Amino acid sequence: MSGLLIIIAAFFLPLFPASLVFNRLAAGIANPFARLALFAVWPQIGVALILLGDLAPAGPVLATWATLSALFYAFRMLTVREVGRWAAMLASSAWPLVWLFVMQEPTAANLIAFTLAMTVAPALMLLVRDALARRLDAAYTGLHGGLARDLPRLSGVIAVVTLAAMALPLFPGFFALLAVLSGATLGVALGILLTWLLWSWAGARLLQGTIFGPRCGPIADDLPRSSTWLVAGLVVVMVAAGLIWTGGAV
Amino acid sequence: MIELQWLIPLLPFLAALLVHLLGGRMGKRVARLSVGINLLVVIIAAFQLTAYIAGDTGPQWMDLAGGWGSLQLDPLSAIMALVVSGISLVVHIYSVRYMIEEPGYGRFFMLLDVMTGSILLMVMAGDLITLLIAWHLIGVVLYFLLAHNTEPPTAQRYAFWTFITYRLGDLPLVLAAVILFQAYGVLDFPTLFERIAEMPDVRTFMDLPVTGTVAFLIALSAFAKSAQFPLHTWLPYTMEGPTPVSALMHAGIVNAGGIIINRFAPVFVHSGEILHLLFVVGLVTALIGSVLMLTQNDIKKSLGYSTMGQMGFMIMETGAGAFALAIFHLIAHGLFKGTMFLGAGNVIGSARKHDGVPNDPLYDFLVERKSAPARLPWLIIGAVTLIVPLAILVMAHAWVAEDFFQKQGAIVLLFFGWITGVQVLFATHRLDTENPIRMMALIILSFALIVVGYSFVGHSFETFLYPDAAFRDALYTAAGIDAVTFDMLVILLALIVVLGWMGAYLTNVRRQRVDEGHGNTRLTLYSLFSREFYVADVYDRMTVSLLDLSKRLNVWFKWS
Repeated sequence: MSGLLIIIAAFFLPLFPASLVFNRLAAGIANPFARLALFAVWPQIGVALILLGDLAPAGPVLATWATLSALFYAFRMLTVREVGRWAAMLASSAWPLVWLFVMQEPTAANLIAFTLAMTVAPALMLLVRDALARRLDAAYTGLHGGLARDLPRLSGVIAVVTLAAMALPLFPGFFALLAVLSGATLGVALGILLTWLLWSWAGARLLQGTIFGPRCGPIADDLPRSSTWLVAGLVVVMVAAGLIWTGGAV
Repeated sequence: MIELQWLIPLLPFLAALLVHLLGGRMGKRVARLSVGINLLVVIIAAFQLTAYIAGDTGPQWMDLAGGWGSLQLDPLSAIMALVVSGISLVVHIYSVRYMIEEPGYGRFFMLLDVMTGSILLMVMAGDLITLLIAWHLIGVVLYFLLAHNTEPPTAQRYAFWTFITYRLGDLPLVLAAVILFQAYGVLDFPTLFERIAEMPDVRTFMDLPVTGTVAFLIALSAFAKSAQFPLHTWLPYTMEGPTPVSALMHAGIVNAGGIIINRFAPVFVHSGEILHLLFVVGLVTALIGSVLMLTQNDIKKSLGYSTMGQMGFMIMETGAGAFALAIFHLIAHGLFKGTMFLGAGNVIGSARKHDGVPNDPLYDFLVERKSAPARLPWLIIGAVTLIVPLAILVMAHAWVAEDFFQKQGAIVLLFFGWITGVQVLFATHRLDTENPIRMMALIILSFALIVVGYSFVGHSFETFLYPDAAFRDALYTAAGIDAVTFDMLVILLALIVVLGWMGAYLTNVRRQRVDEGHGNTRLTLYSLFSREFYVADVYDRMTVSLLDLSKRLNVWFKWS
């Protein structure tokens, strides 16, 4: 595997410390659509580099590096309160797992599907960030809690997206993690499981800082019905795609 | 018949969807829709169980679309489907009025239906992925049910404890599934268990045996789900959730550990060491749960610790090789504890109406600790107390199975039965009554009836759940230890128990205060019990340290 290509790809399927670049870039983009586009395209550039460069499967050193990167960002997610940064860190924790999936020598379609499965939740979290920022002027957990009382539809969407971020069934992340685990060694498997646990912990903290607890903060309008149905439709498509994909990946 | 099995988990999910979609139009009447569908589930589950017993087809398996997504119909899934759906129906009916004034009425029924569907899917799952999905869903849905009242911080705090412990329990099962898939290359249970029986000595990571490693991981999962020490802290604190959720949790969800161990019995039969681990952890949990139950001044926490103790016994039974007994136990405990939770409101209500405590000999004896002077010779009392329960237990078990005493696990259970019987007689021989002989005779008769009934039902249940006698024996054999060590342990434990009784008797006779001369020890024990062995404090401290470290890292790396 070409050393230079690995280094370049390590920026796009971010391995620490190259991941600092993606996180700074994501934090610096104010336009929500541009940020969403960054999340959608960034990891696929890494995948393209791997596919175009016909890179051989990563070795144990790279596997350890990827696992530790995933673990490192999952651990840091625990105390991030700004939802946009939270989404970026989730991506920085999820995308290194693509390197581990590469070791199983998947087909190009499977590799792209795996990366997409790992991108869906951070991307959806960006939508949540935008919805919160528009209504409450800030998308910070713990700042305007108790949304479930006054904004049930938005709270429902936050809950569903957070469950997707925790890679719970039946979201694509769940099947992607099972796929990567099915070919992992013991050390890597333990690292992935610990990362998964930290996602759950961070997700639960996010829920507790937004939808649960006593209501505080400005009065705001709930998510319109049409937007809620749109997100629900997106989630259904996402789940269906994940279910169809697992026919070939697990 | 297997086709009908699909309706059992799918109908509650359909009910959840309908409740969500029609909630706005139907208002509070939507609960009746949920109850109606759950009633239908109970009818189908009862039909399936009856048809399975009456038919001669044996276990069946069916997938949905080739690959994962399958269900099975076997004795464990048939009986548990009926139990789970039955308890869930009672909880549904109870909730219709109980939750009527709570906000989020429709949401509550939707979550209750998803939970019912998830548990049913778990008990009937026919492959590893379906089981994992159901196993994960239970923890997530329980989190939202416990946090149903979204505002009180305490409810959120303890819902979080439950969620994170359940997540801790989810992940070992994932690793177990991965190891099984890597080793045997299949997902469906029938083929998987067939291959394990053919090749039990396959090795995995670091040349560890697959069966032992998988059994260990499944045991870890079961410990978290069934509140085994030290993963128990969530259970006594989850009373902040709605009462119907407490009932469903204590009667059904917490039993998941026993169910999963039974489901993987073909793995545990090759993992004697892990069965010993189950026994030890179960025993420690039963002891700690019982001690903490007795020392609580909060009735709800006391009930929580009672469940923990019972779960300890359940896990201990599997460790003794009595897998079917664990299921029997969890069903009996589920019905009993569910009734207690759902009846608690009535008890509190009637206590408020009839102020004043009952004043009868039983109350004086149990609560006021006022015992009558001994009226029978202590030697006779002692002999009857020690020998009669043992004789009843031995005769009852010899009646149902002649070879019963060749199994160490059975001896362990007999031992516990004997302690229970003696304890009842020992505790009641000083009860103030006009005719002490009649009272003792009645207690012995009740004990005999319970033991005989239980032995017969328990044995029949074991034959139904594990029809293969060789497999049943293999489980007991796997749970066994060296005969000499076993005998020594039984004698040692019997001596400790008898000495304890003698100590308690002498203390009582001399009217000595229990704490006399043991000030420091008593104080230490008091601190340990009142702080619940500091387990939650340790977790709190760990959590704070980890969050602090995470924050420091973020500051160092400027949140990038």
